[in-house]
Amino acid sequence: MKLIFKIIRIFAIVYAALFAVFYFDLDGKLLYYVYEPAMCKHYDNIEGRRNIIDIPYEMKDEI
Amino acid sequence: MAEERMVKMSLAEKLGYRKGDLKNFVKYIADDPKQACKDFIYGKEHERRNIGDLYIQPTGLYRHREWRGLKDTLYYFNVIWCYNYGMMVADILSAEKPLRFFQGIWRYRWLGQTYIPVLHWFDRGLEGLRGPALRASAWHYRGMVHATIEQFMRMFARDIRFNGKETELWRKTVLHNETVSGSIFYPFRDGGLVDIPLEMIPYFVTCHVNSNTVLHYIDAIQTLGLPADPCPMCQAEAGVGIMDDYPDSAPCIVTSNEACDASVATSIIQDWFLNRPLYAMPQPMRYDDPLVQKRCQEEIEGAWKFVEEQTGVPFSWESFKKYAELQNEQLYFEREKWDVAARTNNYPINGVAQALYRIYYSQYGWNETWQLLDSRVRKIMENCVANQIDTFPKTRHRVIAWSCAPLYYSNWCTWAYNCWGLNVVINMDSLMFDKDIRTDTYEHALEDLGWYNELAPMRAMAVGGHEHIFKLWDYMEQFNCDMVAMYDQLQCKGMQGIKGMFEDEFRRRGIHAFWLPHALPDKRTVSRKEIRDGISGYMINVMHEEPLDPSLLDFDDDLTW
Repeated sequence: MKLIFKIIRIFAIVYAALFAVFYFDLDGKLLYYVYEPAMCKHYDNIEGRRNIIDIPYEMKDEI
Repeated sequence: MAEERMVKMSLAEKLGYRKGDLKNFVKYIADDPKQACKDFIYGKEHERRNIGDLYIQPTGLYRHREWRGLKDTLYYFNVIWCYNYGMMVADILSAEKPLRFFQGIWRYRWLGQTYIPVLHWFDRGLEGLRGPALRASAWHYRGMVHATIEQFMRMFARDIRFNGKETELWRKTVLHNETVSGSIFYPFRDGGLVDIPLEMIPYFVTCHVNSNTVLHYIDAIQTLGLPADPCPMCQAEAGVGIMDDYPDSAPCIVTSNEACDASVATSIIQDWFLNRPLYAMPQPMRYDDPLVQKRCQEEIEGAWKFVEEQTGVPFSWESFKKYAELQNEQLYFEREKWDVAARTNNYPINGVAQALYRIYYSQYGWNETWQLLDSRVRKIMENCVANQIDTFPKTRHRVIAWSCAPLYYSNWCTWAYNCWGLNVVINMDSLMFDKDIRTDTYEHALEDLGWYNELAPMRAMAVGGHEHIFKLWDYMEQFNCDMVAMYDQLQCKGMQGIKGMFEDEFRRRGIHAFWLPHALPDKRTVSRKEIRDGISGYMINVMHEEPLDPSLLDFDDDLTW
């Protein structure tokens, strides 16, 4: 019985915390202010991409 | 301007804190506790919602998400927000190689920048909705999220960049242009072939979810000297290639002319960087000319032969028949939906969900997810009809949206309903692909598939001849609409050519119509605010109407996703 109450209590706390994240748009704020700028910085600095214009463009065999 | 504003904002402001908010809230409860209690349980009436006050300008984030009343807020939290976050994880875990998600997110900008904030895309599209309209529209969004995850996980499982070599999965895959319908590949599905629309996820869907991502790709292609005036869709699709951001997930590709010469140029660039066998399957401009039908059918047969040769998966009539019949069933339900939308006030799907879901599933081809979600939407819709529920009770005008929509502001119709009571009942893209495929004989099926493919987006009623573009008048009558939202894609030479004729017809027929200028994916050419100002100007100066929610008249969302 004690265990059940404990599970219910944990569930209630998690549910309330998630609701707060949802209601105050905390997921959006985290992604907008922290995640996206950090990832964009990362993408801007990716090395080793192929330089497409170095690939010769030739006629192919007819299919 | 918006960037400067952001720099000046304090952290508290960025998080949505406004001095006096708490005091005002306490005052609101103390002044009329009974009303506050009613608002808590049922939500505020439309005119008292002040949705515009919820935004943190210019980011488009919310100070807090909308309180829609106890029932609808809990529905949104449990069945939309929690459920969709959970199902996104489940979709990834049930993919062929789940861990590839992390490699993908690290490598591909279009994934990492776009698809993580996907729940905000829901928020924007479903703003202000209540009851069955909220539920049915959200199921359409869920379908699109599932199909999107399915596609990018398939790309990553096959990507030579991650695998280091060609794999069996890679060999049994064919890439195709996003406007080549998935239905072309039905004959190979049961043989294990997977078809992937090349640009649908790296380009098309990103524009709707996060409008910032695509700008990087447009700029990339322009730095190589491409002038800014061709269609920005073609620019962006080429830009993804130039940035080497398409996964290498198949041995061959079927391309199309999409709908214009700029797209042909994109196909040439794709041919260049993909550097592998390519089959071009163009659609004729004057598509209903009887003389071109045979040619279209031969091109489809040519594509089938090409796929067989390149992937080793044999053509199967039984496979084609099975999926074509399932697709027909889905089209019959779509027609039922149109019927409800046209004849009643009980249609529970809002303008943006209707448009995006329809274009997405008809382009991608039949999928069991669509079937499952359609059955849920059917239940909601039938309940609305049976109980005569007015799903959009603040409707002042029934609007038909015509031509190609702004991808960065596909949710403009959600705003238009909340602010002005403009209910976008149907749109041009939804009415594409309206063709069932006979499966009694091979010849009939091929003939119908040819027609189906010619009725693709940006084709039939955009550049397919003015008599088709002018079908607007018939559809307006059919859907019982009294107003037209006329999209004006500033960089589409095809549609620009007919603008004056529309103006003349609107005047001659006495139709209320407003123009929505835009540049498809590029929000820098015409901002969302400029689009809203144009509509509001028309509603105030021509229609002499008052806004339902004045807080939505003027706000800055330039830096919104």
